[in-house]
Amino acid sequence: MTDALHDRVRRMRERALIRSWEYRQRNLSKGVWHRLRRVLVDAAQAWQVDDPDADRLERGGCVPLAVGLELVPPKRVFFATEEQLATLSSRRRVPLRLGAVLLQAGNLVLIAHDSRLLPRSLRKDVSNGV
Amino acid sequence: MSFRTLLLRTLQAVQPVLLEPGVMVAGSEVPNLLEPDARCSLLISRDVDLAVPVERHGAVKARLSEMSGLRRSEEEPSVWLPVGADLMEVNFIGMDTRGDRVGETYVLEDSELPLLVFPHLSLLRPGTPLNVEGLVIPVPRPAGLLLEKLLTDRSGEKGDRDLLVALALLLVSRPRDLDELEELYRGLPPEQRYDARSGLIALSLLEPHVQMPDPTPHRALLAGLLARLESGEPER
Repeated sequence: MTDALHDRVRRMRERALIRSWEYRQRNLSKGVWHRLRRVLVDAAQAWQVDDPDADRLERGGCVPLAVGLELVPPKRVFFATEEQLATLSSRRRVPLRLGAVLLQAGNLVLIAHDSRLLPRSLRKDVSNGV
Repeated sequence: MSFRTLLLRTLQAVQPVLLEPGVMVAGSEVPNLLEPDARCSLLISRDVDLAVPVERHGAVKARLSEMSGLRRSEEEPSVWLPVGADLMEVNFIGMDTRGDRVGETYVLEDSELPLLVFPHLSLLRPGTPLNVEGLVIPVPRPAGLLLEKLLTDRSGEKGDRDLLVALALLLVSRPRDLDELEELYRGLPPEQRYDARSGLIALSLLEPHVQMPDPTPHRALLAGLLARLESGEPER
């Protein structure tokens, strides 16, 4: 009579084991998706730009986030200000979801909800001009 | 019949069980009930979860015959199904806060009312019972249930729905609820704190679901809560 409940317990325990494994992997390559998602949480907007515009951001002092460079192929992901974004003519807004559009973008420019909430290392990037 | 009426009728039908100390409504209906005048506008779910403390299991079992309009499911005896269309399904779930098996997922075996005991329900703390149209409804304080939903194992649609319940709870939370959430969070082991933060991250990027709250307009709120929980964490 309780077979269904025992089956659910078994499946929950299996998933708990997988989550433990994911936790142990969080700082390794398997944790890259978690780290990318974490960066996206701080973004109010995401914009796709072409390579010349991404180059301009870099020349202006914006540093691509490490997590994007861990992906294969690498992706340049920046936090920037709206003023910086406005100078990038190729900008095209993409939905903030881990979907095909965002994942296929080679260069992403993120606008933070509040740059004060970003980790200290990223706050510096946002304040740099292009 | 409105969803609110359906829910209140169901809670009326299980009132004998709800009168048993420690029993609480513990699922997606809680944020609906916590809205002003239990408006029930946040999300739609066609069942009611009742959390039963394992030490009250015997007393609850004795009350089952006093419920009306529901019958035990043959396939899953912890589920009670409505006899008519004017009630919702009721799920009995186990909550172990003080036994030897706290933090464990297990089945409390019983021929009449077996319970699947969910480990994170131990985070629930009783809130002030609600009084809606003369019906006394015991509910947990939002913080514990919110954290429980963030810690839930996320697989497929059910996992998404649990996260959206967490969002709905966040939307009815007051500042002191968030203080309590942070306090509960700080008491978790590192792996579960990571799971809770992962839950918030997943919620922030979730697509809207029909008849559920949309995370999109609340993403800044979620980012702020995440930053608050992360403060003091060694990893960021």
